[in-house]
Amino acid sequence: MKFGIAFKLGCLLAVFGVLACGLTGYYSYSSSRATLLKAAERDLLTATQVLGRNLRGNIDGVSRDALVLAGIAQGKAMPLAPSAPVREQAENDLAELFETLMRVHPEYMQIRLISAAGHGLEQVRVDRDGEQPVRIPYPGLQEKGHFDYVFDTLRLPPGQVRLSPIVINHELGTHSGVGRPTLHVSTPVAGADGQPSALIVINIDLNQLFDQLRSDLPAHYQVYLSNRWGDLLIHPDQRRTFGFDQGRRRFLQDEFPDVQQLLDTQTESLIGRSDGKDTSLVAAFVRLATNAGNRESFVVLGLAQPEEYVLKESSRLGERIIQVVIFASLLAVLIATIASRAMTSSLKRINLAVQQFARERKNAPLPVQRQDELGQLARSFVQMQEEIVEHLEELSRSRNALEHLARHDPLTGLPNRRVFFERLEHALAAARRSAKPLAVLFVDLDHFKQLNDSLGHSIGDRVLQAVANLLRSATRESDTVARLGGDEFVILIEQLDDPGRVVAVLHKLHERFQLPMLLDGHEVKVQASMGVSLFPRDGDDIESLVQQADRAMYVAKNAGRNTYSYESNEQR
Amino acid sequence: MDDWKNASTDPQKRWRQGNLPSYTLLVRPLLPVNSMMRPFLVLLAVLLPLAPGLAAGEAALRLLTWPGYADADLVRQFEQRHGVRVEVTLVGNDDVLRSKLARNNGEDYDLIAANTAEIEHYVQQKLLQPLQPARIKNTARQLWRFRDYPKIPGITHDGKVYAIPYTYSEMGLIYDRSQFREPPQSITSLWDPKLQGRVLAFNGSSHNFSLASQARGRDPFRIAADDFPQLGEQLIALRRNVLTFYSLPEEAASLFEEHRIALLWANYGRQQLKQLRDAGADVGYVIPREGALAWLDCWAISRGARDLALAEAWIDFSLEEPMSRALLERQGLSNTLQEPESLDLPGRMIWLRPVEDAERRARLWERILSGERPPLVEAP
Repeated sequence: MKFGIAFKLGCLLAVFGVLACGLTGYYSYSSSRATLLKAAERDLLTATQVLGRNLRGNIDGVSRDALVLAGIAQGKAMPLAPSAPVREQAENDLAELFETLMRVHPEYMQIRLISAAGHGLEQVRVDRDGEQPVRIPYPGLQEKGHFDYVFDTLRLPPGQVRLSPIVINHELGTHSGVGRPTLHVSTPVAGADGQPSALIVINIDLNQLFDQLRSDLPAHYQVYLSNRWGDLLIHPDQRRTFGFDQGRRRFLQDEFPDVQQLLDTQTESLIGRSDGKDTSLVAAFVRLATNAGNRESFVVLGLAQPEEYVLKESSRLGERIIQVVIFASLLAVLIATIASRAMTSSLKRINLAVQQFARERKNAPLPVQRQDELGQLARSFVQMQEEIVEHLEELSRSRNALEHLARHDPLTGLPNRRVFFERLEHALAAARRSAKPLAVLFVDLDHFKQLNDSLGHSIGDRVLQAVANLLRSATRESDTVARLGGDEFVILIEQLDDPGRVVAVLHKLHERFQLPMLLDGHEVKVQASMGVSLFPRDGDDIESLVQQADRAMYVAKNAGRNTYSYESNEQR
Repeated sequence: MDDWKNASTDPQKRWRQGNLPSYTLLVRPLLPVNSMMRPFLVLLAVLLPLAPGLAAGEAALRLLTWPGYADADLVRQFEQRHGVRVEVTLVGNDDVLRSKLARNNGEDYDLIAANTAEIEHYVQQKLLQPLQPARIKNTARQLWRFRDYPKIPGITHDGKVYAIPYTYSEMGLIYDRSQFREPPQSITSLWDPKLQGRVLAFNGSSHNFSLASQARGRDPFRIAADDFPQLGEQLIALRRNVLTFYSLPEEAASLFEEHRIALLWANYGRQQLKQLRDAGADVGYVIPREGALAWLDCWAISRGARDLALAEAWIDFSLEEPMSRALLERQGLSNTLQEPESLDLPGRMIWLRPVEDAERRARLWERILSGERPPLVEAP
């Protein structure tokens, strides 16, 4: 299959247009997508940081409670209270305070005053049992010296607060607190010597704390919390949390490999991704120091949302861009079609004009009004056409002249012998078909040689010209008057309906020959002998007709000249 | 509480005992790499028999074992050498192993790996068949104490040997060399008041009762019912002497560093030693004169084994250099061919055995750990 320039050009333009639209669309999509993703990640990170600050704020509130309680306990000089009744009174006051606080804060699972003495023996202890705070009487008090929240807190200067690693509480007898993920917030109580002699511990239920925080978040946000090793503490799937407590550690970095960086380095926050089976998650993680001054004690807080949620905006954008690209591409195709048509229609017109000119020498309309190269081409072509036409006309003029020269007698302008015989042949053929007779009439001037000699050749020539005019004027347009040579003329009369007319012509000619001609002041008398042959009377071919006419003319000459012979050979 | 009973007799889970008796203990946290790879390995183990390329007809050895005991590269070596296929099924705990082996009376597997206490159980259940160590020539390369089968509890029955020891780990004492002029000799050092607040013990009920019983010079696995109150008080005394009871080795390492710990009862054995040394601590390791509790994993041939010779070939292969070295290097476990290095004093292993009453130990330990004061009165 052959493709024209219009098609190729159109395709080229269309491909270029579509390509340009597509590439522009693609690049704008990818850059906007990146921007949108960045923005979403930034939002997520901000949300995580805000959540972290809220968490921090909540825990600071707990810390302040612990500090207030420590201050009160210190004021009562409890650990060193002098006498049993005084101490008992102080303990009761403190227990009431603990109970009040626990009623206000549902996330407080337990508040205790633990003595440094007696292997960390609990001195005042209020547990939560459902909604109700319960004070544990002396026999139920336990030694807690081997727990980190005791021995680590007792190493702190008074006024400082320790946040424990988050663990599942397995301490027996803690009522509702058993089996709950627990954060111990503890602070030392200074004794008389200013050294820690006891401590206040508040147990916080991590789940309740986070339920409060989570309620402020959009539903599609998922909260993650891990300890400094990445062990999951809070996870959308609660079964995955506290794996270390069940002998099967589950790590945040297994789901979000980027988190490893947060755990290993000093990075404060990062964006991570997980490629799950069903959904990919985008998450922001921040590192929250739990105990100031200790780089090793921190938790990792994270917020995740499904990537598709983040990408929803950008896919909407993508759809719109695709629409625009398709529309622009169609437009490009349309423009390409029109442009290629416009371009090639002029070419077509030129082509058509060239063909027509070649075929018919006719000028077809050309786009000469165009101001571009095609207009120039058309104008050049018109110019060329004109030149060609001119040349052709001249050629045909000179050919016509030559032809005329070859077929006419230069002196009289009459057809010459050749033309006569051609016409005679044609006329014979026509006469045979139409069965109409024709006549050949020989005219020979009498005494022309003498006339020529006496008056000169120029007068002779004038005589011949005058005779030619005479013969022409006496015959019809359709009859042929020719000069055979010298003073011999011949007339071919065709379509002779009435053979009698030949006699009329002869007669008319004879009469005219009787009149003298006035040539250059000379009155010249020119007379002629004439012979006629008729088809079919005298023959049906050229030869016999010519011979008969010649013979008839000689008969006239022999009869004394200046006469004519019409009779047939047979009749004489 | 059935789980707990299993767990307490299970050396694989020795470090998880104590604070959480009601959980099924699944893992060997000492091998974090394995724990991460386990889903993959289990998947592999499930898919491997389904692989179409390994068409039927070819001889196959069916292993039921633990992560790290049949790594893919080593399995491939064995397959190439013997022109057979090895189907590895990995388990994460003894309960799964028990149920898998018991399913078709041992017909589904040729060879299993289990600790001595479990082997004892399987022998009683008649799920194993006796084997002849003489037919496994690499057993000759093993240390004598691993070939003295009658002295290894649980693996002989009626004079017949049912298992070949493969790997073990003992729970010795790690001490800070700068705080001891002489290495500690005895586990009673854990109770030494001079070290009060500088001792780390493990949070595990079964082992701690065994330890207390050992300290009193008694059988660690057979505590007389009347002795429990006494041992409870002994453990309260331990509680009052230690800084704390750790659960994870990392936890122990950071406590060791932060609190200038002098003596540590190493539930995770040499792994912990390496961890501390890597962290720069100048520590020594001893097996106390009372002996160190230790678990010992063995290979045993199931009653339904198809190809006895092939099963023996695997055991033989596992006692060769590459696998023994892999145990040491990849898993940090001791093999049975060489004496481990870095031991200040040679000592005796006390292979773990089922204890008399795991539930009681766990119940009491929970109370001790929670901080109850003596006397511990047990409800009837």
